[in-house]
Amino acid sequence: MKRPKGTGLRITTILVAMVVGVVAIILVVCIGLFLDRYRSAMVQNARTSSAQAVSQVSNTVANYLDDMDQAMEIVQQTLDEPDETRDRMLQAFLYFRPDVVAVTSYDEAGNLLDCWAIGHELKDNALENLSFDREQAASGADSFMLAPHVESIFDSYYPWVVTMTTRLDSGSDAAWVSLDLSFSSLSSYINNVGIGQRGYCFLIDEDGNLVYHPQQQLIYSGLKTEDTAGPAALADGVYDDDTVITCVNSVGDSGWRVVGVSYVDELVDRNVTEMVYLSAELGALVLVVALLTSWLLSRLLGRPLRGLADAMERFEQEADHFAYHPVGGTREVRELSDSFGHMVVRIQKLMNTVREEEVNLRKTELKALQAQINPHFLYNTLDSIAWMCEQGKNADAVNMVHALARLFRISISKGHELIPVRREIEHAESYLQIQKYRYKNQFTYSFDVDPDCLDYLCNKITLQPIIENAINHGLDLMVEEGHIDVQIRPDGDDIVFRVIDDGVGMSEEKIRTVLQEGPSDRTGIGIKNVNDRLKIYFGQQYGLHIHSVPDEGTCVEIRMPKVTGEGNHEIR
Amino acid sequence: MKSGKAAVAAGLLVAGCLVACSTAPAAGIRHQVALVGKSDTSEFFLSVYAGAQAAAAEYNVELTIYSPDTEEDYDAQNQLVEDAVASGAEALVYSAVDFENNAAVIDDAARQGVKIVAIDSNVDSDAVQTYIGTDNYAAGQMAAQAALDGVEGSLQVGIVNYDVSSANGQEREQGAVEAFQQSGRVDGITVINTLAEAGQAQADTAALLLEHPDLNVILAFNEPTSVGAANAVRSLEAADRVFLVGFDSNVSTIDGLQDGTVDALVVQNPYAMGYLGVESACRLLGGQGTDLEKTVDTATRIVNRDNMFTMDSQKVLFAFEQR
Repeated sequence: MKRPKGTGLRITTILVAMVVGVVAIILVVCIGLFLDRYRSAMVQNARTSSAQAVSQVSNTVANYLDDMDQAMEIVQQTLDEPDETRDRMLQAFLYFRPDVVAVTSYDEAGNLLDCWAIGHELKDNALENLSFDREQAASGADSFMLAPHVESIFDSYYPWVVTMTTRLDSGSDAAWVSLDLSFSSLSSYINNVGIGQRGYCFLIDEDGNLVYHPQQQLIYSGLKTEDTAGPAALADGVYDDDTVITCVNSVGDSGWRVVGVSYVDELVDRNVTEMVYLSAELGALVLVVALLTSWLLSRLLGRPLRGLADAMERFEQEADHFAYHPVGGTREVRELSDSFGHMVVRIQKLMNTVREEEVNLRKTELKALQAQINPHFLYNTLDSIAWMCEQGKNADAVNMVHALARLFRISISKGHELIPVRREIEHAESYLQIQKYRYKNQFTYSFDVDPDCLDYLCNKITLQPIIENAINHGLDLMVEEGHIDVQIRPDGDDIVFRVIDDGVGMSEEKIRTVLQEGPSDRTGIGIKNVNDRLKIYFGQQYGLHIHSVPDEGTCVEIRMPKVTGEGNHEIR
Repeated sequence: MKSGKAAVAAGLLVAGCLVACSTAPAAGIRHQVALVGKSDTSEFFLSVYAGAQAAAAEYNVELTIYSPDTEEDYDAQNQLVEDAVASGAEALVYSAVDFENNAAVIDDAARQGVKIVAIDSNVDSDAVQTYIGTDNYAAGQMAAQAALDGVEGSLQVGIVNYDVSSANGQEREQGAVEAFQQSGRVDGITVINTLAEAGQAQADTAALLLEHPDLNVILAFNEPTSVGAANAVRSLEAADRVFLVGFDSNVSTIDGLQDGTVDALVVQNPYAMGYLGVESACRLLGGQGTDLEKTVDTATRIVNRDNMFTMDSQKVLFAFEQR
């Protein structure tokens, strides 16, 4: 029976695929969920840190402005002092506040009255004073701040400043007093504020003018731009789009606002990317572990099963000589294996039993047949002997009686199944002798025996049925005299018996019938029985072969092994 | 065994991934960039250096600045270039004293693998990957046009230029001369070449004014010569008769602009030159050299007494950062 080999999936493959598949799906879902949550947490985190940084800057700048408001109050009070004291006090004030570039006072019309500064001389005729805004002064505000501009009233000194201006209440000439503030303090508050690696803060006023930016020079040189109008239009708060987080915070009630800009990619994306890589690595690791585990598991299960299957297949192909080696593995597999082992032993026992029973059956059959042939043959022969006696052929009758006696003695052979070849030849010769008398010398016969073969053993009554067949089917129908030649030759480890007649021969169909059917109408052992007996005794390769040419003759070839001791091949 | 192979393959894959991850970029060594300028005193170059430093900080490179003592000594500048290359500069941001005589040393440097970026004043070398600076011809025209707009009638022009071998000065002169010639209102142009140093420029300008009493326009083509010319005009009290157009921003010329000594200034953008110069050098070192334009024109602006205090003029005239 041919089994479809290599088709269908192995349990190993299925198990590995299932475990790895399930683990992969779970991993993807978990990692996806985790990364999503992680990203939103990171964005929230970035927004918070941005808001914190900006509010911190905002507080610092507010403190600075409060400080300057107080300084302004001191300056106002100082202006009421007598000129000499006032000048000395303002000089001292400027000395301790290096970021105040100049203190200036103006009359109602905005003309410069007095200026206090350290180390710089006023121009004789300043072209324009950028530090005083007449429009704002006229609008009725009590104090105001000017956007960054260049201090334009000194000789050869043009620093960038912002100006705080406050109205004076007293009735003196001076109506306004201004502080011109350099950016040294503001820059120190803002420059070092980083949000992430590239994030920064800058300061705008209520109109959206840039007050201070860490890269102000780059912006003024046209190398960078900063969108100030956008944040100026926004209320305080944190705004984020895909790339930038913008945070706006007002500085007290000064009108200034701190804007913080930070980048989503460095604050969020980088971390998320890192986490993606980490998750991917972990995922891959888990997958590999799952792969290995499931592979080991399936090996544990699949390999012994496959071993068992292989063993079964081998058993199927050659049940007789199959020796079973138990397969190791898990308990279930061992149980299976043990059961199979028991089964193999049982089946082999059963097979032996069946074979023995069959052989015994044949043997019984044979004995019954032998028992059957004897009276019939005996009757015919005795009839012939009686006839010879009546005819006065006493010598012939004596020969017949001797031949008959020999025939029976050999047939019995003390109950042995195997007899020496020489005895079988005697048996065949006795039979031929008797038949030759009976058939009134219608045929002749000869023996051609290799002397080496004489002492080997063969089944008794092997030749006789063949000779009987040759006489009945070959020679009986012939008009002229026939001849039977019996040859016995060694052939390697075998002995070959040939019974050759020159009779009418047999057709193919007849040969088949002779080999397949037992004696039907006739009594006797029959060629089929001889053949079956040889095969049962010695195996399938031994037995009988008939070669016949019609009108020329038939050659029946019997092959059996060289057997020396009877014990080996006695029926088991 | 099929699954066995698969397991091994997957294992190798993970191992490979882990190895790849662990060999991810180590902290890079900072690139070395050298800037060789022409002066360490002019506000123009101080501004260039400030811009360069801003870019160096932003791009995290190590910037070394070299300046010769005078703006004429190309030998000294060649020596500075060699020093810079010897001390390991990978890129050179360069403003040439001499268009021709500085070329060989730049070629040498380029052969040693140094990337060359020219700013302000170009050099005659194919090794220059990009030039960043003023369109000098146009700047010269702009200066001439300011004079043509400011003076009625016919013009007697004196041009105070610096070293004759400096490329940018010659281009400006050419632009100005051609603009004057096209106007048809110019009777004569006298060119003197002086040192890029205020004292000598003042003396030479004063001599020129005395020699040509009918001069009514003077053009000075860089910062020191402008300062010198302004001082000469001031000392000769010639502000009323002479329309002085200077270059670049210096407190002295800005003062002059307000008191009438100087009538117009062509203001370049030195900070941008320094910044963009170093930025381009960083790009070249980062392998992005193909993106660079051959010539980058930094903006130039004409400032006169009327517009000097507008916000835009303030931004170009006055440096925001304290130096």
